[in-house]
Amino acid sequence: MPDVTKFSRGGLILFLSFLLMAVFSPALAPYDPWVRFEPYFPPGPEHLLGTNDMGHDILSELIFGSRVSLIVGFGAALMATLIGTAVGLLAGYFKGTTDEILMGITDIFLMIPQIPLIIVLAAFLRPSFWMVALLMGSLWWTSTARVVRSKALQVREMGFVQASRALGFSDRHIIFTDMLPNIFHVIMPKFMLSIASAMIAEASISFLGLGDPTMKSWGMMINFAFTRGGFINGYWWWYLTPGLCITLFVLSVVLLGFALEEQEEATMRLE
Amino acid sequence: MSSPLANAAPLLQIEGLSVSFETPLGRVKAAQDVCFDLREGETLALVGETGCGKSVVASAIMKLLPHNASVQGRAVFAGRDLLALGEKEMARTRGSEIAIVFQNPSLSLNPIIRVGKQIAEMLQVHKGISRTRSLQMAEDMLSRLGLVKKETASMYPFQFSGGMNQRVMIATSMILSPRIIIADEPSKGLDGVLAGEVMAEMARIKDQVGASLLLITHDLLLARDISDRMAVMYCGEIVEIGKSREVFSEPLHPYTNALLSCLPERGFQPIPGSSPSMIEPPAGCKFHPRCPQKQDKCMRRPEMVQVESSGEFSGANESTGREVRCWLY
Amino acid sequence: MLAVLKAEEVGKAYESGLIFKKRHIALRGITLEMVEGKTLGLMGVSGSGKTTLGMMLAGLEKPSSGRVLFAGEDIWRLRGREFLAFRRQVQMVFQDPEGSLNPRKSIERSIHEVLGLLKIPQREWLKRTGEILEMVGLPEELLCRYPAQISGGQCQRVALGRVLLLHPRVIILDEPTSALDISVQAQILNLLKDLQQELGLAYLLISHQPEVIRFMSHETIVLERGGIS
Repeated sequence: MPDVTKFSRGGLILFLSFLLMAVFSPALAPYDPWVRFEPYFPPGPEHLLGTNDMGHDILSELIFGSRVSLIVGFGAALMATLIGTAVGLLAGYFKGTTDEILMGITDIFLMIPQIPLIIVLAAFLRPSFWMVALLMGSLWWTSTARVVRSKALQVREMGFVQASRALGFSDRHIIFTDMLPNIFHVIMPKFMLSIASAMIAEASISFLGLGDPTMKSWGMMINFAFTRGGFINGYWWWYLTPGLCITLFVLSVVLLGFALEEQEEATMRLE
Repeated sequence: MSSPLANAAPLLQIEGLSVSFETPLGRVKAAQDVCFDLREGETLALVGETGCGKSVVASAIMKLLPHNASVQGRAVFAGRDLLALGEKEMARTRGSEIAIVFQNPSLSLNPIIRVGKQIAEMLQVHKGISRTRSLQMAEDMLSRLGLVKKETASMYPFQFSGGMNQRVMIATSMILSPRIIIADEPSKGLDGVLAGEVMAEMARIKDQVGASLLLITHDLLLARDISDRMAVMYCGEIVEIGKSREVFSEPLHPYTNALLSCLPERGFQPIPGSSPSMIEPPAGCKFHPRCPQKQDKCMRRPEMVQVESSGEFSGANESTGREVRCWLY
Repeated sequence: MLAVLKAEEVGKAYESGLIFKKRHIALRGITLEMVEGKTLGLMGVSGSGKTTLGMMLAGLEKPSSGRVLFAGEDIWRLRGREFLAFRRQVQMVFQDPEGSLNPRKSIERSIHEVLGLLKIPQREWLKRTGEILEMVGLPEELLCRYPAQISGGQCQRVALGRVLLLHPRVIILDEPTSALDISVQAQILNLLKDLQQELGLAYLLISHQPEVIRFMSHETIVLERGGIS
């Protein structure tokens, strides 16, 4: 049985480091990532990770890139989770016609091929990364909705929900104080994993060149590294580092999600 | 019911069994200095209310307690102290010599394996009996427990009701003809009539294979009907042991008396106060705060003492085996 | 003696199937009357529809046929505040004591939220909580605990306390003690009896145990296969 605390602590540390990196980018980065120096400079004492084809310091790019990637990741995940939870809760609590309508809508959204749509829209509209986040959020809520709904259906039948109804509490009160806290442990892991998916999706889109070229995300860095000769020339410090960052961040998110699930199980076991 | 000679050899001797758990809320003293014997061929009921420690005693004997439990004492079976055995040896003993039937049958059965196969597995693994023969024996056992239809053995647990699953569990435990069967609340979840039937069948099979039954239950009436002797537990301690009919008609310990008065047939007379915490139990006699006959002495923990019964149920040469933990005696 | 809650030819049917609708009739033609200060015992084997009937009388499920009358009014014709008033006056205590409390709310919070529902000012909460704990026989130390940390009997008392805060006239008791030990059962049943005398409550006592029914009821109805026998 792996040591959960080690995992969760590791995940937390990683996660927080990235968070700090994003928040304190101006303080941490040695240079402004838009300032031009000598291009294609290999790693050295002045530029720890060298410079790219435009002469921008790669380390600074990396640090500032965390902002874009994290915002897209969080933004998409937050939106998807909020919409999904709302839909799932209402469908599961009210059942009947409400459930049918909401699940019908969910099914329609599920039929939409998500990544291809994002790619197509990104290709035609060339949106900013905010739009990309919004787009992802508005397509991904379906799986959260499904999971939340099934848990809500379960919780609704539990004694204390019936008791609350009998005592005359309003539906709103019951949903927020009785249902939501007992469904939360299902929502959190899905939220964490959505962040990871969103980030990877953003990186993929950017890598394909469909992202926002005016914002440096990690995916964009890899894209430039690819198109501007970084791969061919073996400038590993250019394309490897953003890839590593994406991997590590996703890893930290997954570890946190795992730790949350374990903690939930431990509390259940105590009971 | 034939009651064995009181001086028959004890099959299982529990000596000074104490179990405690470390929990975030404190140290739970689940069992303290539990001593009793289980004799050959007899049915001993360990009765008490929820949380008195009786299930913990059963799990302790079978070495199935969680990691945060600390166990002291001895459980001597066939000359060996079970509590001192290694896990491998204990695994061999479990199932084949001492079987345990747990409370929630639907949870103890593998939902995706056919019922007959689960029972037959016991024979295949422990005794190396062939598949066809073990399946046949499983079917026989099931029909003896009232699940007569041929197709029953090839069905899955989820197709069964709680009562049927309970009988499957009993079949699984008895198929190896163990010498001791520990049944933990076997009648829970079964309604009155069915519980009676299942227990009667269990008693019949137990007599046939010559096993002893340690029955753990909170159902006093079931204990009275099925068991030869009864041990009453309160807050982790045994407070009274004796022949079931005697304990029922002449309870010696004030708790036993109060408990019996709660029965519907005696008018639902409640016991004042509430069950004590096992983290900070009362000093001395655990029952004294609620006892109508308490004295100053009760602040000190009484020992188990032998008591002569009125002789109504015992022969002239039989020792009555009646013990009470109370200063009144 | 005034009939406070009545059922008139109440029935419940379940339909299944999309094209070939199958109708399963759980209850039919139930007529009964509940009187202030008296207990009506409802007996029947499991599956005979006792709980469903209880829930219909409490207004938690709608009957497929017949009417449920509270103080002479069909409860399903009541709107808004009137229906809420009915809800308050007819309460229900459920079978699984631990299940009727939200596992994530402390006992104190579970009690306080009812006080909040009744729009009782917060400064009175301490006093009211103390009163209700005393009425159901619970020590104050339980307040900071969670349902999983207290016994089944104590959970049932908390559930009962919450119900009593609403000053109901009728309480539907669905197998209130069948999940409890016999000594706790004796305590709860005696508590219910005392409260009935003190507060003039009408009870519908649902149980499969004849002795429990006999101990508490003034009148008994037996349900068999959906109808009164």
